[in-house]
Amino acid sequence: MTRDRRLTKTLIKTLILNLVILIFSFSNSLYAQNGQALFSQNCASCHAVHKDLTGPALAGVEERWGDKDRLYAWIRNNQAVLKSGDKYANELYLKWNKTPMNLFPNLKDEEIASILTYIKSVPDPKAGGNAAGAAGATAGQQDGGDNTLLYGILTLILAVVALILLQVNSNLKKLSDEKEHIPSLEPVPFWRNKAYIAMFTILLFCIGGYLTVKGAIGLGRSQGYQPEQPIYYSHKVHAGTNQISCLYCHGGAQESKHANIPSLNVCMNCHMAINEYNGKEKIYKEDGTEVNGTAEIQKLYKYAGYDPAVSKVWDPNKAKPVEWVRIHNLPDHVYFNHSQHVKAGKVACQTCHGEIQKMDEVHQFSDLSMGWCINCHRTTQVQFKENGFYSIYQKFHEDLQNGKIDKEKGITVEKIGGTECQKCHY
Amino acid sequence: MKKLAFISSFTFAAIMVISCGGDVQREPGRTYMPDMAESRAYETYKDHSNLSKKGVSYNNEPVTGTVSRGEELPYHLLNDSTGYNASRSVVNPLPRLNQIEMTEAERLYLINCAICHGSNLNGNGPLYKDGQGPYPAKPATLVGDPKIEALPDGTLFHVITYGKNLMGSYAAQLNRKQRWMVAQYIKSKQSKSTGTNPMAAIPQGDTTRSVTTK
Repeated sequence: MTRDRRLTKTLIKTLILNLVILIFSFSNSLYAQNGQALFSQNCASCHAVHKDLTGPALAGVEERWGDKDRLYAWIRNNQAVLKSGDKYANELYLKWNKTPMNLFPNLKDEEIASILTYIKSVPDPKAGGNAAGAAGATAGQQDGGDNTLLYGILTLILAVVALILLQVNSNLKKLSDEKEHIPSLEPVPFWRNKAYIAMFTILLFCIGGYLTVKGAIGLGRSQGYQPEQPIYYSHKVHAGTNQISCLYCHGGAQESKHANIPSLNVCMNCHMAINEYNGKEKIYKEDGTEVNGTAEIQKLYKYAGYDPAVSKVWDPNKAKPVEWVRIHNLPDHVYFNHSQHVKAGKVACQTCHGEIQKMDEVHQFSDLSMGWCINCHRTTQVQFKENGFYSIYQKFHEDLQNGKIDKEKGITVEKIGGTECQKCHY
Repeated sequence: MKKLAFISSFTFAAIMVISCGGDVQREPGRTYMPDMAESRAYETYKDHSNLSKKGVSYNNEPVTGTVSRGEELPYHLLNDSTGYNASRSVVNPLPRLNQIEMTEAERLYLINCAICHGSNLNGNGPLYKDGQGPYPAKPATLVGDPKIEALPDGTLFHVITYGKNLMGSYAAQLNRKQRWMVAQYIKSKQSKSTGTNPMAAIPQGDTTRSVTTK
């Protein structure tokens, strides 16, 4: 009996001990695993491991501080360390424009240690990753191959084959004629052969006519116009890969006649922090040359008057406008309003501009001809549902049926805004 | 035989014509007698730099003393730490948004904020994507971070207006009313997650002023 009881006691003891050890080790490993999570939760808003953001890059932070206790105290309460007159801390504070760091008084030693372990474990992106880049380049080039040359060669081969066959045919005819003793006619040279001359004339007429008509219709139209812009700006990278809404930059499209070219401060919203292109996909110009995205961002900085090496703070007053080349141009005798189409008409941008999110360099997708406008207006249905712009028509319709509006008098033009000044004077 | 020659040469010519048309078009199309195509009045995005030489008075800054529509009551706080701290006490002048206005506020949030702060306000938008995206800094977690949830409407408005740390100013993209709408939208999402009702703290203000969604 007593033996049994002792056995259970020891069993329970070891069980509890095991449990304690288990919890302890589990929480320890939890800290190690959570270094990344803690970093992302507490530090990542202002710090990156290998890049200066609002605060300095944290790689090598332990070596820079040297003393572990001072670093831990700084992380928990940097203001107290600054007040204590620590020389390194105060220099750091001045170097970073006196941007105050948040206080983290609740971080435990283990948590700080796991964050520091995580920081050490992140490899420097500049050291590796070249091999992957090279592989991407070759893949991209294969994608960018053009079939025109192939088609040309095929056509040429076919033409040669056709000529040879013609020659063989005439030779065979000559032979068979000789065999049957039919006197062969004196061969007519091809430039005096009536059939050839007729063929040539018809061909010239067809091709010339086609080109003339095509050119005449195309006068004043610029479908496919794809000018080279002062900065290689890829809509594919921004609106496609990174899913930025069209209206983020072209907000004017829902509020005014013009869709607006974003001012530099809109670019700098993101590009204050994003100063290099390291997307997985390589970007190419239309002629196949590869584009250095980072260099293009540097061009933007030049226009913005922003030099991260001089000051981390951007002064928008130094900015000069980028002289983008306008692609879509309507003649002055046409009134076109973006907000009317986007807001009231609920037309998607892509309807007229094509799949912008897939274009690196933008080209004019539609020909912007009158026929094109009219065809769309003929087929597009008005979206009355949940559309504040047209709700008045629905109201009039109901009022007419309820008898609230005199049916004799009906709805006058004035009721739908016909006496507004701007109807005529804009 | 003649037929064959005709067909082959015709296809050859046609292919030549088509293949010549496939180049990148770096020049705009030609025009012929562009009657009334160019505006005589100066239009948006035309070159304004030579106007002063022509004796036309032109200044691309707003006339001093004028306020653009929707920007009445200039925001008095400056972009410094004093202004940031004082923004705490600025109350949202808008009455509580109704269903339609809230949908509009959500739309504005999704266009302007969601690329960084995420469509469900978790600070993980497509530009950050857990550090996989191009944006190097982690955007603030608007719902779920007690530090951010503690910020009142006024501070959110202040930050949207002037920016904070790496975030830029959104005053050019969202007008004053829209900024207050987005601030209220963020607060409403936070209250849904924690169960508190910050709307109670917002004075109802002048209810005769309606929010017009543009």
